[in-house]
Amino acid sequence: MLPLKIALRFLRTSPVQSALIATGIAVGIATQVFVGSLITSLQASLVEQTIGSTPHVIVRAPDEAEPLKVTAAMLSVVQTDPRVEPGAVVPVRVTNALLTDGEDSATLALKGGDLGGLDAIYRLRERTVAGTVRLGKGDVVIGTTLAEKFSLAPGDSVALTLPDGSRRTLRVTAVVDLGAEAANERQAFVDADLPRSVLGWRSGEFAAIEAQILDPFDSTAVATDWRSRLRGVRVVEWQEQNADLLTALQSQASSSYMIQAFVLIAVALGIASTLAISAVQKTRQIGILKAMGMSDAQASRIFLWQAAALGLAGTAGGVALGYALLWGFSFAPVQFSIRPEPSFIALSASIGVAVSMASSIIPARRTSRVDPIEVIQGG
Amino acid sequence: MGDARSAPDGVLVEAEALTRVYGEGETATVAVDGATFSVAEGEFLALIGQSGSGKSTLLNMLGLLDTPTRGTLRYRGQDVSGMDKLKRALLRNELIGFVFQFHHLLPEFTVLENVLMPALIAGSHAADVRERALETLELLGLSGLEGKNANQLSGGQKQRVAIARALLNRPAIVLADEPTGNLDTANTEAVYDLFRTINRELGTAFLIVTHDRTVAQRTDRIIEIRDGRIVGDVKNEFGRPARD
Repeated sequence: MLPLKIALRFLRTSPVQSALIATGIAVGIATQVFVGSLITSLQASLVEQTIGSTPHVIVRAPDEAEPLKVTAAMLSVVQTDPRVEPGAVVPVRVTNALLTDGEDSATLALKGGDLGGLDAIYRLRERTVAGTVRLGKGDVVIGTTLAEKFSLAPGDSVALTLPDGSRRTLRVTAVVDLGAEAANERQAFVDADLPRSVLGWRSGEFAAIEAQILDPFDSTAVATDWRSRLRGVRVVEWQEQNADLLTALQSQASSSYMIQAFVLIAVALGIASTLAISAVQKTRQIGILKAMGMSDAQASRIFLWQAAALGLAGTAGGVALGYALLWGFSFAPVQFSIRPEPSFIALSASIGVAVSMASSIIPARRTSRVDPIEVIQGG
Repeated sequence: MGDARSAPDGVLVEAEALTRVYGEGETATVAVDGATFSVAEGEFLALIGQSGSGKSTLLNMLGLLDTPTRGTLRYRGQDVSGMDKLKRALLRNELIGFVFQFHHLLPEFTVLENVLMPALIAGSHAADVRERALETLELLGLSGLEGKNANQLSGGQKQRVAIARALLNRPAIVLADEPTGNLDTANTEAVYDLFRTINRELGTAFLIVTHDRTVAQRTDRIIEIRDGRIVGDVKNEFGRPARD
């Protein structure tokens, strides 16, 4: 333990130098913690915004114009898959409708299905800004943009022209914010029966089965699995339809890794150069210790321990500073909140200590080459 | 080949044709050339010579800080000439105490910690050797200074702390390189007297390297080195302090 004792004493007798180097490590680790958490949370937020309230995997008929004949066996395959979010499976029917009000008109996509399933995927109740979500016969739930454009509020009636030429008057039960302008203007939810009567389909016939899964990035595997288990259907999933988004996320992740790597390199160079200076400053002491019989390995360990102590102190400070930055960022006017991942923080801290230790290799090797004769005769 | 730590048979150091050459070919310089002599356990001798005569090189080899190019060096019968660095470091720690012209104390540590250092390097626990360190400090008239930083002492005190440090592991020999070179007359006297006292009380051998003949005259034996060769090795009957 003598090398550790000497290392700590060397650090204590050069407090300014020790504080500077520990601060350097702390700033580096804090940057890593902050940038890493920021990018991870930003990505999670982007994924959540993009697909959080949409189906991840959709089972359709091979020909989109034809209905999908939904059987109990087919539903069971989807519903009992453990990767599927419980309850977030719903067979839907879709039809267009035209809403006109004097000069203004809008084309709506009416999605009809069971409220429980629709709510699990689209989170209608959670996203309600006015009214109470109900999807009984003659009810409709509309988006905020449409409601503004036509000055609609819960309780109001809307007259729709349907593709079969018929006109229906529906009652707005709730206005919801679906998270995207286009959806808020075009998407509306009705009971499953309305599109069926317009399309002239039978009771087991649907446009698709929509499902949300627990880990969105499992969608490719889930889709492949269902393709082999369900005959005569087409299965699509969000990842193949959002290749651009995935590329963007990957690029963002790569640039984040690059920033983190360069920060770590800068930290490593800082520690290595400061420790090298310290090794030069302590050459006399090392020479004297060696003259008294300290081995090269023991002498090298002094700088290894210095690096470890500085690494631990700097990393602890860096993690604290990183959390402080994240806390400060929580007051920034942005659309998402940063959630620091404990595993990522632990990884950053381990990297910080490891980089510090690696930085001591040069001074440690220099130390092992110090010749006590030169020191003694140099005076 | 015996073990350097085994019981002494009277001879502590044996140097046989000890030679140290620096450089190679035409630029080769022979710093020490065929030095042959021995030092008995508990002997008190001086090594004298002008600067550049090779006395420091010889001292470095005797102190196991350097290895001879040719020749043999034995400590208590064990050949140490070809020993690797680590073994030499271990033996140095155990058998040899150094006192340099400059005190070479560690400024980051207290007087007591500096004195304890050779024992700590050997792997002892501070608590186990603290008593011995305090005794050694007392022997050197440094009681009460153990908690001070090495930088707070006078030149003479620093040199005495360095001597205490050299003695802590109770070495077989103290190699002192111009130990009084930086001290005034009074302190020079005091250090010399201390060496004598320790030599008598602890039986530690002393080899004092000096260019000061008055210091050398007070030892029991004087080895003189010139141009790397030993040119004189005489008993000095007048060097022994008067005994009552």
